[in-house]
Amino acid sequence: MSFKHLNILLADDDTDDCIFFKQALHELILPTSLTAVHDGEQLMQFLTDETNELPHILFLDLNMPRKNGFECLSEIKLSEKLKQLPVIVFSTSFEQEVVNMLYQNGAQYFIRKPSEFSQFKKIIQQSLTLVAQGDISQPTKENFVLTVQNG
Amino acid sequence: MDIRKESDEEDLISANKQLVLQKKENEKLIAELSIANKELAFQKEEKGKRAAELGIANIELAFQDDEKGKRAAELGIANKELVFQDEEKEKRAAELGIANIELLFQNEEKEKRAAELGIANIELVFQNEEKEKRAVELGIANKELVFQNEEKEKRAAELIIANKELVFQNEEKEKRAAELIIANKELAFQNEEKEKRAAELIIANKELLAFTYVSSHDLQEPLRKIQTFVTIILENENKNLSENGKYNFQRMQLAAGRMQQLIDDLLSFSRINTTELKFEKTDLNIIIEEVKTELKDTIQEKHAIIEVAEQCSANIIAFQFRQLMYNLISNALKFSQPNIPSHIVIKSRIVKGSKLNNSKLSPDKNYCHITVADNGIGFESHFSERIFEVFQKLHSKEVYSGTGIGLAIVKKIVENHNGIIIATGELNKGATFDIYFPSN
Repeated sequence: MSFKHLNILLADDDTDDCIFFKQALHELILPTSLTAVHDGEQLMQFLTDETNELPHILFLDLNMPRKNGFECLSEIKLSEKLKQLPVIVFSTSFEQEVVNMLYQNGAQYFIRKPSEFSQFKKIIQQSLTLVAQGDISQPTKENFVLTVQNG
Repeated sequence: MDIRKESDEEDLISANKQLVLQKKENEKLIAELSIANKELAFQKEEKGKRAAELGIANIELAFQDDEKGKRAAELGIANKELVFQDEEKEKRAAELGIANIELLFQNEEKEKRAAELGIANIELVFQNEEKEKRAVELGIANKELVFQNEEKEKRAAELIIANKELVFQNEEKEKRAAELIIANKELAFQNEEKEKRAAELIIANKELLAFTYVSSHDLQEPLRKIQTFVTIILENENKNLSENGKYNFQRMQLAAGRMQQLIDDLLSFSRINTTELKFEKTDLNIIIEEVKTELKDTIQEKHAIIEVAEQCSANIIAFQFRQLMYNLISNALKFSQPNIPSHIVIKSRIVKGSKLNNSKLSPDKNYCHITVADNGIGFESHFSERIFEVFQKLHSKEVYSGTGIGLAIVKKIVENHNGIIIATGELNKGATFDIYFPSN
């Protein structure tokens, strides 16, 4: 499969999750480069810094210190410069109301972090594939929550 | 001889008297003859006078003859005048003929008018009679009005009494109003107290929600990492582990998985009461379809048939009902009999309470009756209450996974809808859940 090089930005305050993410990307052997930020303020600084190249995709955790994922998503979607950036919300918990709100606020996909590492890798691969294919328009509500496709 | 001598004396006295009388008569005649003489002399004089008068009368006659000739001439002229006048009279007569015809015509017209006037008169007579009738009626009406006036006066008198009564009542009302103002102040105070309590409850609720969110997130996160690390070890360090080591890691993984399920279920259970209860008219079919989509992998795996018959709409808290349906259907799938494809039948309909013969249901209300029946392993009938209690399970977790919370959640949701749920089952013959809740 031809896969264009993707600049990935990960916003997650949790060291373990960052390790899982790096390891997953490493094991998937995909042409990507990963940048990680560890709270919402760092994320917004990174995105608004003119010297930084904009990433192709943002994996956003919801529970972060200083500025949480909801606030970051709203700011991104209100910014002319950033609103095209596909934001994949990456969260431990699943609550329907939270998911509905994220969909309304323009997130691309919602992923509940799988507890099995093999699933973790698969879901990252799936989401990266979708973005690499250039599919960045918001899906229908039914397809908003990304789950691991078997096979 | 004496008597004779006397007779002769008497005869001589009578004859004497006779002679005296005759003498007197003679003297009278001589007087009368003298008078007649004198008369004749007078008549002779008179005749001379008459002759003189006749001469004068003759002269007069001659004059009169002349006058008569003159008169005759005048009569000729007068005759001519009369002829002329006759002609004029004929002309006048002709004119009068015409005028007469005209008069006849006018007479006819007058008769017509008279006839019309006759009719008009009859009409007037009729109208007069009518007026008299009206007058009689007005007379009666007048009496009626007089009677009514009297009645009105009586009413007015009664109204005056009623007015006094009202004035009295008004005073009483003012007293009551004053009392109400005091009571109102008391209520206002109580309301303020209630608002304070409500505000406190809102804060407490928010705290509870925050706690729920923290639990859902923060409790699950370390657990998920334990699981992830285990899988990384099992995957990447597989060849370095002994069989016993691998087995222990697998047990660890199962335990962590159960804990994760437990947290998820506990969260669902607590969420039932912490979220807003918003009832809305919802088509149950839509909810069932959503749940089927969510469970489609399990449905495929179990070769299950879910039959949905006669669905109705009901006033429900939609997200809770989705959870209820999810729990009941996933339960039915989980407790299916090995080697027999699962067959689940879901029905719902509106039924009058009086037809349901259940003392907990009001006979006057309409109920939505939902049935979820399966052909699974069922349960002994004496467990029909216990299965709804939290953490109560009929099977070991090794055989049927689960936390014993699913049906407790179902019951709680039904109670939130002011309804009841009844489970009936027979071992290895399937289970049926009947739910009844007011439809409006």
